[in-house]
Amino acid sequence: MVGLILKDLMTIQRQMKAQAFVLIFLLVMAIFMQQSAMLLAVIVFIVTIQAITALSYDEHSKWDKYANTLPISKADIVFSKYILSVMLMIIGLVMALPIIFFINFFTNNDTSEFFLTFNLIVTSALCLLAVLLPIYIKFGSIKGRIVLIAFCFIPGFLTGMFKEYIPDMTQTFLYLKQYVYLAPLGGLILLCLSSLVSTAIYKRKEF
Amino acid sequence: MNAIEIHDLHKGFEGFFLKDISFSVPQGTVMGFVGENGAGKSTTIKCMLNLIKKEYGEILLFGKDHVEHELSIKNDIGVVFDDLHVPETLNATQLDKIMRKVFQTWDSDYYFERLAQFKVPKRKKIKELSRGMRMKLSIALALAHHPKLLILDEPTSGLDPIIRDEILDLFLAFMQDETHSILFSSHITSDLEKIADYITLIHNGEILLSESKDALLYEYGIFKGNSEEVNDLPEHAILRTRPGAFGIEALVLKNEVNEAFRLERPSIEDIMLFFVKGSV
Repeated sequence: MVGLILKDLMTIQRQMKAQAFVLIFLLVMAIFMQQSAMLLAVIVFIVTIQAITALSYDEHSKWDKYANTLPISKADIVFSKYILSVMLMIIGLVMALPIIFFINFFTNNDTSEFFLTFNLIVTSALCLLAVLLPIYIKFGSIKGRIVLIAFCFIPGFLTGMFKEYIPDMTQTFLYLKQYVYLAPLGGLILLCLSSLVSTAIYKRKEF
Repeated sequence: MNAIEIHDLHKGFEGFFLKDISFSVPQGTVMGFVGENGAGKSTTIKCMLNLIKKEYGEILLFGKDHVEHELSIKNDIGVVFDDLHVPETLNATQLDKIMRKVFQTWDSDYYFERLAQFKVPKRKKIKELSRGMRMKLSIALALAHHPKLLILDEPTSGLDPIIRDEILDLFLAFMQDETHSILFSSHITSDLEKIADYITLIHNGEILLSESKDALLYEYGIFKGNSEEVNDLPEHAILRTRPGAFGIEALVLKNEVNEAFRLERPSIEDIMLFFVKGSV
């Protein structure tokens, strides 16, 4: 497991360095616009999504064919990607938070609002991973992208179809707001369930 | 003990079947696994490694079921495919760090010795290495945890004769330990002639023969003549016939044929061609 995570970190190292420049640009923008939440969202998503980059590298090199000749269980191969993505997210947060507190300190942004944003960003990153990883493991990066696009359109399509039956969303959101501190926990549970689904998919795969 | 034992292995795909494959590789020997492209060599190897699932049949590695004892078996095997399947942004030194975490028995000194011997650059990215270099790195990776069994799927295909010779020498050095074994799949029959003790021939998903190499080379002979001359050969001695440049060629059992018939010594390639393209 440690070997696999190490391999992924080494593989995406170069990619991360390239994206560091994008992050520096965003940092300057965020400071000028005094928008700490935007910076947090971008950093967390860019860093977290690197797990998908690692999957694409694996697919390109047919790594799984080789990995499955090593004394590593299939469950560990899948689980390592989940650990990697959560690790990357934590790294992203550790990188972003001091900068954000620094910006907030000078702009006097509302801290309670920030807590809400922080929870939502972390939760959506976790949910994104929970959906992305099984799709990419099942379909690979090229087909996965198509399935993902379809996935994005289905909720919009359904909302459009049944618009009149859906109650006022604003009220619902206001009601849910009080439970927002539980949201990352929910995201984490979803990610755990997703890892079980991915393992089941991976065990049925042939290389 | 047999390092590999396969009984009645069956696996079907659309338009292709592995049909009741059975053969074994005794410990301390090199088995050459020959057959043309698409004959089923890689499929058989993938079944052994549980990369694809068999439909039925039994596969034992070191006497243990290959699925039930998968991880312990994989600690003792080294696998080389026809290409190096690791992300191309990595280099040989990084692979050493990774493999140290994968194998408890990983021997970094041995690994770097092999890289130095093969002149594989330690810090050059894999995508910048030539095909020969990638294969040498792949072999160093397969050997550095001191496996007991090497499973090689076309490791020398696409390489020049000089590199192939160096690689074969390394496999011969590996075989100095009499507990070590190799399954060597290839369609370059001259490589197998150099190092194999046994030859298994697969064609259209079926095993046509599995015998010791010496038995094949010394007990078989090729008779070349016209159809009347071939008719003079004892019928039970003829294994296969095929049209030759000057008439008919027959693969025969040497001991069953009178010395008056001039026989030529066959190569593995000849035997493969007789079995695959010849008629009974």
